[in-house]
Amino acid sequence: MKVDLYNAMRSKMSRRRMLQGATALGAVTAMGPLARPAFAESHGNVRAEILKIPGVGAGSPTDADWQKVGEMTLGATKANVAEGEFAGVELTFFGINNNGLHNILFRGLLKGWETYTGAKINWIDLAQADYNPRLQQSIATGTVDFDILAMGAPLEGDTASKGLLDEMPDWVKTQIEMDDYVNYLKAPVGTWDGKTYRISIDGDCHTFAYRTDYFGEGAIGGAAVPKTWQEINAVSKAVIGQTDPLTGQPAVGYLDPLKGWGGFGFYFLENRAAAYAKHPNDPAWLFDPETMKPRVNNPAFVQAIQDVMDLIAANAYPADQINADPGTTGFSQFLAGTGSMLMWWGDIGSNARTSDTSVVGDVVGFGINPGSDKVYNSQTAAWEETYNEAPNMAFLGWGVYVTNRVSGDEKKRKAAWSAAAHLGGKDLSLWMSAYPSGFQPYRNSHFQYDEWEAAGYDRAFVEDYLGSNADSYNHPNAAVEPRIPGIFQYYSVAEDELAKGYSGQYKSAQETADAIAAAWEKITDEIGRDNQIKLYKASLGL
Amino acid sequence: MSNGDLLHVVTNDDISPRRKAFGHGIIWGSAAIMALTATLQTLQATGHGDWGFTTWRPTLYAFCLWATALCWAQVLIRGEQGKRTLFVLPAALFVVSLTVFPLLFGLLIAFSSWNLSSPDGRQFNGFDNIRQMWADPFYWNAMWNMVLYTAAIIVEYAIAFGLALLLNAEIRARKFFRVAFLLPLMLSPVAVSWMIGKSMLEARYGPLARLGRFLGWDTPSFFGTPEIARLTIMAMDAWTYIPFMMIMILAGLQAIPKELNEAAKVDGANGWRNFWEVTFPLMLPVSITAILIRIIFKLKLADVVINVTSGGPGGATDTVTSFIFREYRDRSNVGYGTLLAMVYLVVIIIAMTILMKLADRFARPRT
Repeated sequence: MKVDLYNAMRSKMSRRRMLQGATALGAVTAMGPLARPAFAESHGNVRAEILKIPGVGAGSPTDADWQKVGEMTLGATKANVAEGEFAGVELTFFGINNNGLHNILFRGLLKGWETYTGAKINWIDLAQADYNPRLQQSIATGTVDFDILAMGAPLEGDTASKGLLDEMPDWVKTQIEMDDYVNYLKAPVGTWDGKTYRISIDGDCHTFAYRTDYFGEGAIGGAAVPKTWQEINAVSKAVIGQTDPLTGQPAVGYLDPLKGWGGFGFYFLENRAAAYAKHPNDPAWLFDPETMKPRVNNPAFVQAIQDVMDLIAANAYPADQINADPGTTGFSQFLAGTGSMLMWWGDIGSNARTSDTSVVGDVVGFGINPGSDKVYNSQTAAWEETYNEAPNMAFLGWGVYVTNRVSGDEKKRKAAWSAAAHLGGKDLSLWMSAYPSGFQPYRNSHFQYDEWEAAGYDRAFVEDYLGSNADSYNHPNAAVEPRIPGIFQYYSVAEDELAKGYSGQYKSAQETADAIAAAWEKITDEIGRDNQIKLYKASLGL
Repeated sequence: MSNGDLLHVVTNDDISPRRKAFGHGIIWGSAAIMALTATLQTLQATGHGDWGFTTWRPTLYAFCLWATALCWAQVLIRGEQGKRTLFVLPAALFVVSLTVFPLLFGLLIAFSSWNLSSPDGRQFNGFDNIRQMWADPFYWNAMWNMVLYTAAIIVEYAIAFGLALLLNAEIRARKFFRVAFLLPLMLSPVAVSWMIGKSMLEARYGPLARLGRFLGWDTPSFFGTPEIARLTIMAMDAWTYIPFMMIMILAGLQAIPKELNEAAKVDGANGWRNFWEVTFPLMLPVSITAILIRIIFKLKLADVVINVTSGGPGGATDTVTSFIFREYRDRSNVGYGTLLAMVYLVVIIIAMTILMKLADRFARPRT
C-alpha cells in the first residue's frame, strides 16, 4: 500500500473502525473451510475458558495454570493424533528460558500433550544472550542436537538456507489455521525457496509504551504524549530533577538500554534510527541492497547514536544505565515504575496488566514507534525536512521449527510437528498473547476486543494496546527485519561497539558508527558478499 | 612366524629377522598413512588441494593408529623389553587425543578466518589474526586490566596475612570466625555475581547504593565509570578469594613451632621484630605458593566480569578471558578468538616461569 493511500485511509477511518474490520475478517476466517464444524462450538468456549486462567488481576500464571491451559487446548491435536500414538518417541526442544517466559511455560503447555500422545520432550534451555552463539556453533560444527527449535525469522537465513529444517506437512497448516496470521507474518516470512518451515507463535515488533501520569495538562512530561524522537529527547531532559508521580522516586524520561543483550539489544537503537533512516521510498535501511555497504554510519544512524549520547551527557537516565540491558529497561525499570517512556516488544503491554512485578498497569498507554521531524534519504544522500515514522519489525516474531533430524523417521516427524502445532495452536496463541509469555498478538483473531474484555482487561486499555500492535504491523513504512545469514553477528558486534561509544571509548557518534560499519563490512566479506546481497534483496522483496 | 610369536615372551636373541622386518614395516607403514592423511588434510584445509576429508577426525584416527602401531612394533622388534612400551599406550593415546591433537588443531584454527555463518567455513588467512590482535586497542586494554587485576593480589595477600594472624591468635569465637571468613570461598563466582554484583551493588535499591546516597553520593553506580567498575570487580574477586590465601597462610602459621617465637621473645624481640624476622621468613614458601596459585586463579578471571558487566562499560573491566569469550560467543570470530587464547597461553607460561624463578631467588636466601 502506498503511504499517501494509507494516510488517506487512516484519516477517514479510525483505528477502532479499522480493527473492527480486522476482527470481522478474523471471525470470517475462523468460520471458513479450514475450521472443523464439529469443533466450532467448543472452540469458542475454550477460548473464553482459558482466558479465565488465572484471570486478569489474579497474579502471574503459574506452572499449574500453564498445564491446565495446555490440556484444555488439546482439541486440535486430538483430531490428528490418536491417544498414545507417539509412545516411545523422545524429542529434544531448543529454546530460551527467560524467567517465566518461553521454554519455562512451554514445559507446562506441552505437559498434557506429552500425556496424551505418549511422547517425551527433553529441553535445551539457553539464556537469551547465549541463544544465538549456541545455535550458530551447532550449525557450524554439524552438531545439531535438537528436533524442535524456537527461533526468530531472522535466523532462517542461517538454518533454512542450509537445509537444516524439515518442511511443514500440509496437515499442520490446517491444524494451526495459518490463514489467520497477520499479513506481515505470511510468506515469505517462515518460508525459504517456496517451502514453509515455520509455525508462528509471536508477532514481534517494537511498540511505544508510556506512562499516562506523566502527560496531560499540568503533568511533568507536558500536555501531550511525544510523537517524535525530538520530543522524546526534550521531555527526557525536561523531567530531570522532578519527582515520579507514581513512585516518588526521581522522574526519568525515555529508557534506552545502553548494554548489549546478545545482539537483541541493537533493535533498541534501531527504534530511533528507523525514524531517521527508513525512507518511505526505499525499503532498505540497514544496508545498501546493491552493494551491502552498511548504512549504519550514515547521518541518520549517527543522529540516533548522538541522541543517546546527548541524553547520557545530560544525566537523563537512571544511575548505572550503562549496565542496563533491554531486560532491565523493560522489566526491572519500566514495569517497576522507573522511567516514563519505553520502546519494547508489544508483550510489555500484557505484562503491564498481568504480571506480579508490574506497578504501572493502570497508568500505561501505547503507540507506534515515534516518528521524526526529518528523514534521511540514502539515495540522494540528503535530509528531508518532513515527518516520518517507521515501526521496527524487530525479529519478526518467534516461531517453532522442526529440524531435519526427524525427517527420516515418520513417527518422530509427526510427533515433532504435532508438538510444534500445539504450541502454535489458534486458541493457545490467544492465551499466550493475553498473559506473560514473551509473545504478542500475531493473528487476526487476536484482535477481537470482546474476548480480552471478557478476560478482565478494560476496553480502553485493550483498544490502545492492541491498536499499537495492529498499527505497527500494518504500517506501509515498516522497517522490516532482514532474513540473512549471520544477522545476529551484525547486531552483536554493533551493540558491542555502541557500548564502547556510550562509555566514551570512541570520540564521537560518527566514530562509533564507523567502527560498527567496519565490523559489518568484515562480516559481510567473511560470509560472502554476493550471496548476502541476493538474500538481503529477497528479504526486502526486491 | 606363527601368530603365537607376536606377543610371546621372547628375548632379543630369539627374535627372527622376519619378525623384526615385519615390525619395521608396521612402523613405516603406519607412519606413511599418518603423514599422508595429515598432508592431504592440511592441503585441503588451506585450500591447496581437493583431496582430504570433511573433518579432522580421520587424521586423529590415523594418529592414534600410528601410536598403537608403534607400540606393537616395539614388541615385535624388541620382544619382552618392547612390551613395556605397551603399558604406556593408554596414557599416550589419552594425551594425544585430548591434549596434543586439540592443541595442534587449535594452532591451525588460530591462523584461520572462521565465521560460523559462512558457507565456506574455515579459511586459512596466514598472519591476519596476529595483525588484527596487534592493532586491537580493546584487546590490549584487556591485557592491561589483567596486569592491574594481578597486581591487586599484593593487597589481597596483605589482608589475608592479617586475617590469618588474627585467627591464629587466641581470640574469642576463633572457630566461628574461621568458618565465617571461609564462607565466600564456598560460593561459586556466578552466585557472587548475582548476590553482590546484581543485588548488593544495584544502583537504585541495593543496600550499598542506599548507604552511598545516605553518605552524600548523589548517583551511586558501582559499575558506571571505568575506574570504579574496575575497582568493584577487583573487590568482588578479592572478597571471594582472600579466604583461600588466608587458609593457606593460617595452615603455615600453625606449622611454625611455638618455641621459635618464644625463643625470640626471650632474646628480647618485640612483636614486630618477631613477625618480621621469624614468622614472615618462615612463611615465605607458603606465601609464595599461595600467591602463585592465586595468580593462576586470577589469570582465569572471567565469570564475574561476564555476569556483572559483560566487560563494560565499553570494555573497561574486560579480562583477556572475557574478551576472548565475547569474540567467540557474540562475534563468531572463532579463528581470532583461538589465536588470542593461544597467545594468552604463551604469555601465561612465560610469565609464570619468570615469576617462579624470581620467587625462588627471593625466597631461598630468606628461609
